[in-house]
Amino acid sequence: MKIETEHHDGTSDATPGGYEGQRRPGELIFGAVMFLGSLFLVFSAWGIENTFGPNGLSSPRAIPLATTIVMAIAAGVILFKDARLPRVTGETVMKDILPVNVIILAVMLVAYGVALKPIGFLPTSAVFLIIAIKLLARRGWGWTLLVSLGSLILIWIVFRIVFTVLIPAGIVPEAEVIQMFRSLFQGAP
Amino acid sequence: MKRFVIGAVSALVLGASAAGAADYPSKEIQGVIQWGAGGSTDTVMRSVTPHAEEALGGTVVMQNMTGGVGAIALNHVAGQAADGYTLLMGAENPLLYKVMGLGDKDYSDFTPISILARGTPILVANPDAPFDDYAGMMAYINDNPGELRMGATGPGGLPSVVTAMINTVEGKMDVISVPYDGDGPALTALQGGAIDVMPAVLGAAIEGIRAGKMKPLAIFDVAANDKLPEVPPVTDFNDAYNTYLPWGPFFGVFVKKGTPDDVVAKLADAYAKGAENPAFVELMDNRGFSMMGISGAEAEAFLSKWQQGTTWLLQDAGLTKASPEDFGIARP
Amino acid sequence: MDAVLAFLTVFTQPELLLLVGLGTFAGVYVGAIPGLSVTMAVSILISFTFSWDVYPAISLMIGIYMGGVYGGSRTAILLNIPGAPSAIATALDGYPLAKRGEAGTAIGVTTVMSFIGGFIGIGVLAVAAPFVSDFALKFQPRDYMLLAVLGILLVGSLSSGSLIKGIFAGALGIAIGAVGRDPLTFTERFTFDLPLMQGGISFIAVMIGMFGVSEALMQLHHVNKDAVRQKISRIVPSLSTVKKHLPLSLQTSTIGVVIGALPGTGGDIAALMAYDHAKRVTKNPERPFGDGAMEGLVAPETANNSAVGGAFIPMMTLGIPGDAVTAIMIGALFIHGLNPGPMLMVDQPDMFWFIVGALVMANVFMLIFGLTGIKLFTKIVEMPRAVLIPLIMLLSIVGAYAVNNSLSDVYWMLGFGFFGYFMRHYGYPLGPVILGVILSRLLDDNWRRAIISEREDLGRFFGGIFSSPLSTVLLIAVILIFVSQTPLWTRAKAHILKPRNQGVQG
Repeated sequence: MKIETEHHDGTSDATPGGYEGQRRPGELIFGAVMFLGSLFLVFSAWGIENTFGPNGLSSPRAIPLATTIVMAIAAGVILFKDARLPRVTGETVMKDILPVNVIILAVMLVAYGVALKPIGFLPTSAVFLIIAIKLLARRGWGWTLLVSLGSLILIWIVFRIVFTVLIPAGIVPEAEVIQMFRSLFQGAP
Repeated sequence: MKRFVIGAVSALVLGASAAGAADYPSKEIQGVIQWGAGGSTDTVMRSVTPHAEEALGGTVVMQNMTGGVGAIALNHVAGQAADGYTLLMGAENPLLYKVMGLGDKDYSDFTPISILARGTPILVANPDAPFDDYAGMMAYINDNPGELRMGATGPGGLPSVVTAMINTVEGKMDVISVPYDGDGPALTALQGGAIDVMPAVLGAAIEGIRAGKMKPLAIFDVAANDKLPEVPPVTDFNDAYNTYLPWGPFFGVFVKKGTPDDVVAKLADAYAKGAENPAFVELMDNRGFSMMGISGAEAEAFLSKWQQGTTWLLQDAGLTKASPEDFGIARP
Repeated sequence: MDAVLAFLTVFTQPELLLLVGLGTFAGVYVGAIPGLSVTMAVSILISFTFSWDVYPAISLMIGIYMGGVYGGSRTAILLNIPGAPSAIATALDGYPLAKRGEAGTAIGVTTVMSFIGGFIGIGVLAVAAPFVSDFALKFQPRDYMLLAVLGILLVGSLSSGSLIKGIFAGALGIAIGAVGRDPLTFTERFTFDLPLMQGGISFIAVMIGMFGVSEALMQLHHVNKDAVRQKISRIVPSLSTVKKHLPLSLQTSTIGVVIGALPGTGGDIAALMAYDHAKRVTKNPERPFGDGAMEGLVAPETANNSAVGGAFIPMMTLGIPGDAVTAIMIGALFIHGLNPGPMLMVDQPDMFWFIVGALVMANVFMLIFGLTGIKLFTKIVEMPRAVLIPLIMLLSIVGAYAVNNSLSDVYWMLGFGFFGYFMRHYGYPLGPVILGVILSRLLDDNWRRAIISEREDLGRFFGGIFSSPLSTVLLIAVILIFVSQTPLWTRAKAHILKPRNQGVQG
């Protein structure tokens, strides 16, 4: 499966991936979703009310309402312009916008987000890294395990030990283990 | 080998859950600070906790969890196990959540470990303001209705309570209330002349007063403060304030209700020792806070009295979303 | 004389020198990893250095601060993922250079320019601190609002593709910034009664998602392509290169100091404004902006490093933090028994000169570490993408979680990652979204403060603007920049300039 995306690959923010004068597959749907979403946000902004004070120019509604209206107008113009552009020939959603790799990784990221709290950082991340690296690199298990677990331990040490970020421990008794090491180093009483 | 690993892990897990209070703390304790890094709650907690850790013989890992005016942190701790391994480090405002419609939990869902200290409100003005004391300010407001710009920090904040107090005692003031997201930014704006008057906590204003960048109008207390002995208490101008004062924001450490009594006792003991540390006492004194260091029934009584007084004050000033009565908070 | 001695403290005590160096070194890495922030590092150091003397503690913090602000540019150049918000503009021209294999040159120029910007910031702090802080205090809510509007007009220079898509993205960013409970009135905005939305959307989570995860997903398209080999033979830029950019860097450093000194605005806004300024004043860049223009690196990097010195100005003269990091340092000074405030310069002038000395030293260390560790960093980009992409994703998740210890930030980060992926494909620029989020509160809060102060009377509001020279100048700047972005102006300018240009070229 060869993916031809060299032209306008969108990897730099300064040169976004759209084409001038042509419409990519799915662009119209995206534009329509943006337009409808903006209209919904205008409606939602209108509903903002200040319970503790006046609702005039200084209302918490003022700026949200103004910006969502700008969003809706801009999205409307984009949609209108896009609709009149010819479609890019030779591109399909499956090949150029959402190839299998991207879908798999996206699903894995969502699964990661769901599993993080109940299962905990270490097991979830280990599984994520091993599967993702195995899938993308297609190399031996030994190499995959070494690279993924090695980098995971490094990340864990930096965030959990050095920066004391309390990432959900889940099923791993992290705090107990750390305390064990701590008393070990301090010479347990 | 496999059996050994399983054995070791299960021993660890069992050990942790069965250990209870006898060898508490057997692992790290999480301290959840309700406010952002660099704020006064943050400073107070980060400076008392190392002393308390010494007394406790354990480690307290502190993290800031901001958002929802502190409600996010409060709900987070309320959602953890009541085992004394998650502490809530907060200030006074959760006692107002229910009446302000900000949440359905407050400190009644927690056991106080220590109410560390209390602040004193003070009314300060821009040095160029055309009055020099509290009486002058009230006269100015009467002569120029709707012209004086008074700083605020949103409903339920210290300025809103002080303003409610003034409105109750003196009758409704006609001023412009300009909201800021904290007393720091508001006091900066005061020095730049964007607002004229600001009710703030003494510690935040004291250095500015010393430097002549702002002028004190009155201390919101029943007596003058040692830090600024020349500033009159507001009760000198109007006796009626005696009903509501002394009042002030406070800092406290809490655990979820249901935490074993001996764990609570151990923590309370550690924080009481930490709060006695001379370095901490000096820090609090410099910032103009009055040390309290109370716990147990005394702390519970303080909390409920504070909540009664403040919620009803706000209710009478029309600043609440729901009446304190709805939550069984009796009128003082 | 005392001042000189205090200034030299850090140079004469090897222990302090070591701590500044250590801090700077760690700071470069803290800054480079998205999600690890200087703010986090410094607040952890408060507990860590609790029992130390005040000088060593401050030395370490200053090192981390200086190194961290600089470090954000590393990942921006190498991976197109800004390590810190102040490096967003650096990615715009830095990453195209790395794609060409010129990451070494880009990092070299960035480092030297950060050093120059840092020194200008420190110089202004040392020489003119009271003057600048008096000026900063003059900014009224309406001036902050005008400054925010000025910032929003940068959308024009950040959307190289389609302007209308840029406007949409910018407005979306402002709306994202408004989500959650409004801090001024506690009114719920765009929360749809969901607890997840109550706390609002962390701006760092949006940034990590849009730049980190969406970039990683984008890279999946050519996972098997070999990484670009980086030429690292010539890292230190030649004297003539430095000389050439010196006038620009003086201008952008000034922007950095002033924006840094204003309480409520920091290096992120300064860097974006400087980028816009560079684009405006550079007539003939060697390469077009967005394609690897050196000016596009020079401007944001001088500005964000000079903003460090700027942020210390209100802190040292008034006890008012210039940004989040100086806010924590004020707390640290309290804990160590000092009383930061307007009297600090009077009571403890030594502290001021010590901090200036430590900043100078940190700046020098930044130059040293910046120019020496490049080989290791460029190895990161040469790693196989199959390993790099999952690691970027994992770091993005941990980083988003670390900002506020909150899982909802992780969900937001992922959501914006997927969203940003589609935006990239369909030609919507991402820069304006981040710009909108950064400026949202500045605009919204100050607009409301300004109009409340004038009792909701627009006539009084404009009267107020014209009665203040500062506000008038800002308003004129807003109008001029706005007009210069409209097609009408471009046509008029072309018309006026045409004959003269022909004369020069012909």
